[in-house]
Order: sequence, then C-alpha cells, then structure tokens
Amino acid sequence: MTRFTLRASEWPIAIKVPLLVMLLMLAISFVITNTVLTRLAQTQERHLQTLSRAYLDGLGGTLLPHILREDVWEVFDTLDRARSVYAGLNAVTTIVLNPAKRVIAASDPKAFPTGQAVTPDLLAGLGVDGRLLIDEDKGTARMLDAVRLQGQAVGSVYTELDVSALMAERRSVLWQLIATNALLTLFLMAAGTWAVRRMLRPVRTLGSVLDRGSDGPVEIIPDAQLGSATSEFGRLFRRYNAMARAANERLHLAESLAEKERLASLGRLASGMAHEINNPLGGLFNALDAVKRYGDRESVRESSVRLLERGLNGIRDVVRATLMTYRQPDEPRSLKRDDIEDLQYLVQPALRQKDLTIDWRNDLGSDLPLPAAAVRDTVLNLLLNACAVSPEGGLVSLTADADAHSFEISVGDCGPGMPDAYRAFLENGSAASGPMKSGAGLGLWMVRRLLDASGGSANIEAGPAGTTIRLTLPFEREASRHVA
Amino acid sequence: MPYGFAPFSPPPLLSRRAILGIFGSGFATFAAPQNARAQDASRDITLGLTPVFLNNDLELLAALKTYLELSVGQPVKLVLRRTYEEITSLLVSGQLDAAWICGYPFVAFRNQLELVAVPVWRGKPLYQSYIIAGTGNAAASIAELRGGAHAFSDPNSNSGYLVTAALLAEQGARPEGFFGRVFFTYGHRNVVRAVASGLADSGSVDGYVWEVMTAVEPAMTANTRVVRKSEWLGFPPIATTRTAMARGEVQALRRGFVRMAESAEGQRVLKLLHLDGFAEEPPALFDAISAKADLVKRLG
Repeated sequence: MTRFTLRASEWPIAIKVPLLVMLLMLAISFVITNTVLTRLAQTQERHLQTLSRAYLDGLGGTLLPHILREDVWEVFDTLDRARSVYAGLNAVTTIVLNPAKRVIAASDPKAFPTGQAVTPDLLAGLGVDGRLLIDEDKGTARMLDAVRLQGQAVGSVYTELDVSALMAERRSVLWQLIATNALLTLFLMAAGTWAVRRMLRPVRTLGSVLDRGSDGPVEIIPDAQLGSATSEFGRLFRRYNAMARAANERLHLAESLAEKERLASLGRLASGMAHEINNPLGGLFNALDAVKRYGDRESVRESSVRLLERGLNGIRDVVRATLMTYRQPDEPRSLKRDDIEDLQYLVQPALRQKDLTIDWRNDLGSDLPLPAAAVRDTVLNLLLNACAVSPEGGLVSLTADADAHSFEISVGDCGPGMPDAYRAFLENGSAASGPMKSGAGLGLWMVRRLLDASGGSANIEAGPAGTTIRLTLPFEREASRHVA
Repeated sequence: MPYGFAPFSPPPLLSRRAILGIFGSGFATFAAPQNARAQDASRDITLGLTPVFLNNDLELLAALKTYLELSVGQPVKLVLRRTYEEITSLLVSGQLDAAWICGYPFVAFRNQLELVAVPVWRGKPLYQSYIIAGTGNAAASIAELRGGAHAFSDPNSNSGYLVTAALLAEQGARPEGFFGRVFFTYGHRNVVRAVASGLADSGSVDGYVWEVMTAVEPAMTANTRVVRKSEWLGFPPIATTRTAMARGEVQALRRGFVRMAESAEGQRVLKLLHLDGFAEEPPALFDAISAKADLVKRLG
C-alpha cells in the first residue's frame, strides 16, 4: 500500500496529508514571517525616525545661536553633551555644517575637522529633510536636517546612527520565526502522519478484505475489527458485512440456480431424447412385425434388418450422448472431438421443433487439455440458446477448432440479436455480478463462469443476419485447473 | 584667574541641579546702590565667582558659603557668571563686595581695585600657564603649533589667553594670525576637553587647573600633554573695589580667607580647592601680568 511512485496522485494519503501540512505551513510561515518582519521594520523605523527627529529638533534649537555665530566650542559642547542625553539613539557621528556645507564642529573632530568640507559621499542620497536613510548592510542610518531661522536655512545637522542592534534584532526575530515555524511544521507533520495513519486504519482493513475477496466469495470482517457500532467506520464495516453476506448468498443462489437450470436442461434433453427414441421405435416395431410375418421372405427380412440396424444406431447415438452429458464431472477429463460431435444429437429435437438447419463444422483432432464436461455444458447452452432465438426455418451454425494454445468455438444464430447488457456481461463482466434470473440469461452466466475459471474470453459479432458468439479458451491454465 | 563657580547655562563644570540649588538659595543677581548697601549692616555679603573646574561644585559652594558665613558672622551670597568680563563688570561697578577674579582683569582695573587675598598653591601665591596639545601631537614648542586650531579659555583670562598672546606678541604675531583658527571655550576645563577631543590642536590652560584635573580626574587630561609651561605668575586673586576695601564686612571677609587654614570648615574648603591657604600679598605680585598686558596692548 505504501509503495512509492513518482506520480503524486498515486501517493498514499498518509504521505500526501503531511506533505500538504508542510506546504501549507511553509506558505503560512512565509506570509507570517514576511508580515512580522515588515511590521517590525516599520515599527523600528518609525521609532527611530521619531527619536532621531526629537534628537535633531532638540539639537537644532540649542545649536541655532551657536551656528549663527559659527561658535565652534559651543557647537561641539552641545554635541558632546547631547551624546550622553541621547545615548539610546547610538549616534555614531553628528556633524554641524554651515550653509556652504563646511564643518562647524563634529562630535568626532578628528575625523571631521572644523572648517573642512565634507565629502559628497557622506551626504549622498540625503535630502535636507530629516528623513532617515537606512543602510542595512552597514547597519547605519543617516539623515540630514536643516537648521532654520525665519525660514532660512542657516546650517544643517548630519547624523549617522548605529542601527546594527536593530538589524540584529530583525535577524534574531527572523531566525526565531524560522526555528519556531520549522518545529511547528515538523510537529504538525508528525501529528498529521500519525492521525491520518490512525484514521485510515479501517480503510486499509476494508481494502485488504476487498483485495482478498476479488476472486470468489467476499470476505467478512471479523468481529474483533469491527470497532464501535456508533463510529463512522463501525457502521460502514457492519454495512459492508451485511452486503458481503448478501453477495455471498447471491453467489450461492446463482450456483444452485445454475444447477437447477442444468437439471431442467437435462429434463428437456431427456424428453427430447425419449422423442428421438420413440420416433424410430414405431419403425422398429413395424420392421419387427414385418420379420415376424414375412420373415421367410428374403427381401422383407433384409430390408427390415437394415431398418432395425439404422433405428438402433440412432438410438445408440442418442443414448451415448446422453450418457456423456449425464456423467458427473468428478474426474476432469480431456475434451475429445466426440464431446462436441455428440452435441448435435442433443440439439436435434430443438432443431426439428422449429425446422432449423444446422451448419456443423467440428475440426477438432486430438484431445485438448480442457474440462470436457464444462465445455460441453457451455456449448450445449449456446446451441440451445441459438435454437431458441432463431426464427422458424432459420440457420444455426457451430464451428469448433483448436490451435497449439487454445480452443475456439463459435455458435451462430439468425435471431434478432443479443441485448447489449448480456453482450457486455459476456465480453467484459464477471460471474460475480451478472444477471441471474432463471430463464433469462442464466445460461450466459454459466458461460461467463467458464470463461472466468479458464481465463478465456468471449467475442460477440452481431449483424443483421444474426449473432455469432465466439469463445476462446486457452490451454495453459486449464491444464492444471479444475473447473466445477 | 578665578576658580569660582559655574556660570548660568550649561556649565561644563556645574550640574543643572547645582545651579538650581544656587539660585534657590537666593543669589543676588543684581545689586542695590553701593551707598545704600554700606549703610545696611544686616544685608548679605556678595562674593562673585568665575567658572570653576572641579566637579564637586555643589559641595565646594556649600562648604565655602558655610565657612565664610561662620567666619564673617553674616549671610554670604555667592554670585556666578559665565565670563570673567561679567563678574569683573559687576565688581568694578560696585555691585559685588568682592570677587575671585583673574590677574589680568586685576591689572586692567588696577586703579579701581584692591587685593583682598591671594591663594597659596604648593607653598606660593603663584601658578603657571600651560600650552597643551593632544598626545598624538609631537610639537615641542609653540612654533610647531602654528597653523593649527587653538582653544583659549576666556579673553580676560591671564593663563587662558594673555600669556600665550604675549608670547606671540614678543614675536610680533597675533593669535588669530599665528594659529589657523582660535576659539574661546569659557572654561579651563573646556580647553582640556577641546584639545583631548581633537576639536583644537592646542590650547592655553591654567596650569593649576590642569595639574589638579590630572590628580583628580586623570582620564580628562590623559589625551593631552604639556608643550610649554610659562614662568610663575601671580595666582588669580580675590579683589574688591578701593571704596569698599575699608568696609567692615570686606575686612571680615579678608580675615576669613586669610585664616581659612585655622578651622576645620576652612580646611575642608582648602582640601576641595587643593590649595594651601590664602595670604595677603602686595599688588606688585601681578606686575609680570601687567607687563604682558602692556605688550599685547602695544601690538594693538
């Protein structure tokens, strides 16, 4: 059941569900992680922007008079003291610039000496609007803001913040989310596998029972495995068992009906045979009477003896055929040419009844490894059926032939054709599911049973002139298999 | 060169709390006419102080006030301003009974001022002016500091401006021409900060302040080194106006300063100031500073 294939549609549900869980969790994780990180980044940036805005506003107010005077010391002193006041902001560098973008003073005077112009790189991408420009790779955030008096920019303040702690926090949150989601996914996959396997256990039970019951009687699920009568599968199992019992009974019934049908056929045969014997009997008695009366006459004696011989020959043939048919199939016997040949005597009454002509071609030579009785029954059934459906004065045909591997027999009629349901049943059905009603296709059911048992096949050719049923029975299986 | 107390706003040396404390105690930020004050024996004695360097300002202020009130027997108010100029103006205009000023303002207003007492440091009423540079600066003399940024303390400070200006004047140079850039920090401690941070390549600073900072807060001066020490000069004195000198409360103040070493409270003040005591000295102690002032004035 768990054989692995590359086609996803054939994977067991016990693998599909955990995989689905994993895919869903991956999708959810991706969305959640993305959302959380985006929100985190937004929150961080908003806080940072607010804090840095407060820092620049605070600085700008204090610095304004010093910038106007380009008072190097007071600007530096303000920056130096702001460092401890705004320690939480992690300002790495703060530079106060005059309108010509030259340094008035910087928090790190050695790196940015007073009076020097700052490199364009430092201010690249920055507008004089106090907006943060975050460089995640370097872990820095830069901004430049103007210090204004009466709407005029009298200088600007550049600040570079160390945001590596925020970036580290983002990374840490990312890894935490990944780890949490991975653990959750693994746990849910394991739980899903366990739950699905547990839930599917009754389905496996049902599956294996059905597998075993495919050729023959349907298996009943033992009481021990039925489970609670109120559970879904408990009810299903009980319904299944009821159905299986019904199916088994039906099979049994079909077999007994078949037996009855066989006996009924035999009854009809016996009456036909009595008729066959009775017909020459009148002639035989006449001949006997003629011998008694005119036995001294050479010509009468001779013609009477020939008549007697012919009549007795006919009776012998009928009796022999009946004996063959009536023999119990206890010991499977090879199919002989005569097994088929004899059948024409058995159908004679049916032929005569409707004035039918039979086209008989029996090309069998040596014995064939097939169960004689079952094949005879089947062929007889087909012949009687052909007689039954053919109109008065019609033509019925039989062709029997064999090659090295199989035996092939065709029975044709000139009836109105076979109903599609019967035809489909004969060609593709199985003995376990076919029509069973007595007198309406039970013969077909017996034919199908022979085909199922022998591994043979049927081919129906229906045309305006009638129907030909061709059966092909392979030897190999039959050589070792007993057919009831 | 006073070692008084921090000015108004953000004092480099004085915390906001200290200032609130000082103002809370009721500083006289303005003064009544002098004659009116002279007639009121029960009024507070006012003593002006200029920027200080020590970080235990509050403690020092409280200790000085306590000692002086005990010694004089009258309430004493300590008045702080940001610059030497402001305190000197208040003193000269008679709005303060006395003030701890610098030698430079004293010689500048020599004809209006009298000495009350002069601090004694390491046994003498003298100190030096230092020219300092960053430890990374290998300059061995002031000549090698040419073109750099220089931090002065106060334009009215002897050690923080006049000594270096006079040294340059001897060579016919002015500070703003000799150095690439000069600026004032209004505090000796700020000069040390400016040089240590690299904002200035060199600075002019009170030698007494630098030495005491090195002893008390070595980290502050660790990034600076002394390039040049001046000759010994008169220590920043406590002065009063000639008209106030004869007044009883000023005389009492003078006795209080001179006898500071004699009481436990006075000893505590001296320990905080890292001074030996206060002495009565003749104005001639400041003649060398006067000569420097003349030299600079002559250069224009």
